[in-house]
Amino acid sequence: MPDWIQIIIRAISLLVILFLFTKWLGMKQLSQLNIFEYITGIVLGGIVAIHVSTLESPIHFALISMFIWFIIPYLVELISLKSKAFRNFTQGKSRVVIQNGKIMEDNLKKEHYSTDDLLESLRERNIFKVADVEFAVLEPTGKLNVLPKRENRPITAKDLTLTLAPDREPQTVIMDGKPLLEPLANISLNPTWLETELEKMNVSIENVFLGQVDSDGQLTVDLYDDTLVIPSPSQKPLLLATMKKCQADLELFALATDNEMTKQMYQRNSEKLQKAIDHISPYLR
Amino acid sequence: MTVGSQVKTCYASIKNIEATLAILVNQTNEANARNAYRETEEIIIEIKKDLEKQVLMLSREEPQYNQ
Repeated sequence: MPDWIQIIIRAISLLVILFLFTKWLGMKQLSQLNIFEYITGIVLGGIVAIHVSTLESPIHFALISMFIWFIIPYLVELISLKSKAFRNFTQGKSRVVIQNGKIMEDNLKKEHYSTDDLLESLRERNIFKVADVEFAVLEPTGKLNVLPKRENRPITAKDLTLTLAPDREPQTVIMDGKPLLEPLANISLNPTWLETELEKMNVSIENVFLGQVDSDGQLTVDLYDDTLVIPSPSQKPLLLATMKKCQADLELFALATDNEMTKQMYQRNSEKLQKAIDHISPYLR
Repeated sequence: MTVGSQVKTCYASIKNIEATLAILVNQTNEANARNAYRETEEIIIEIKKDLEKQVLMLSREEPQYNQ
């Protein structure tokens, strides 16, 4: 067999083996690899590179060494999943570098992390003042995770004691002018419903590039033709406005009538409606 | 507008609210939201019953507008 055919066979078979090995070794991103996994990747690549470019060492040498460099990291990963102590040994532990707003100099030294490195990592998180940090931890991957002090954290609905309606992920129901049946079924709607909604908006499905339905069953679409104006969903704001109007009407009736019984009835109902509005308004926003 | 027709308009709006809520109950796939809509719908139905009586009473008092 001529040499070049052997090279082709080697290249293809080793490529396939390398692909399978890296697949089985896990799906982590390159930035999440620890040093051991990183070296494993390089060595596997090196073995393949040597054996596909020269014919000096026989192919089964490549297979043996690749298998060993595959099986040991694989077993290490398997055991690390089961045992916390082993995981700490192989993957390293995260180390606290700032606690209660104070820098832990000893821990920094242990990780060979200089003050400049710390400041740089903090700046990456948009923190320019160490005094703003409550807690920071250095992960085994070398990434610094920071918990700013309470007053420096972004404000949330919880801080404002706002009640917000929970919502689910929107489902994409139209893509490139075609209805997607599975997402529609996920939110227990059917193509007929979709047709009706599109008819309400006065668009045909062929003209829709993308259509999504939110958890309240409101359809929003993007058309191929961007000059067309489509109405935005108005059902919920309209409902809230109508409820407020009715409440005001009832109050007005209560003021206008002279009959004591009727007055009370209007007042009672106006209060009830106000309660209903307060109850439902987070969901209608 | 007479009082009778004002109350009638309000009664119609209440019915509109009830129907919209019924649609939302069926459309939403979020359990909390569905419960909230349903509870509100129940309150609205109570209000509707009261208003219905009032509409009937007013139409008896103003029969000339009821032809």
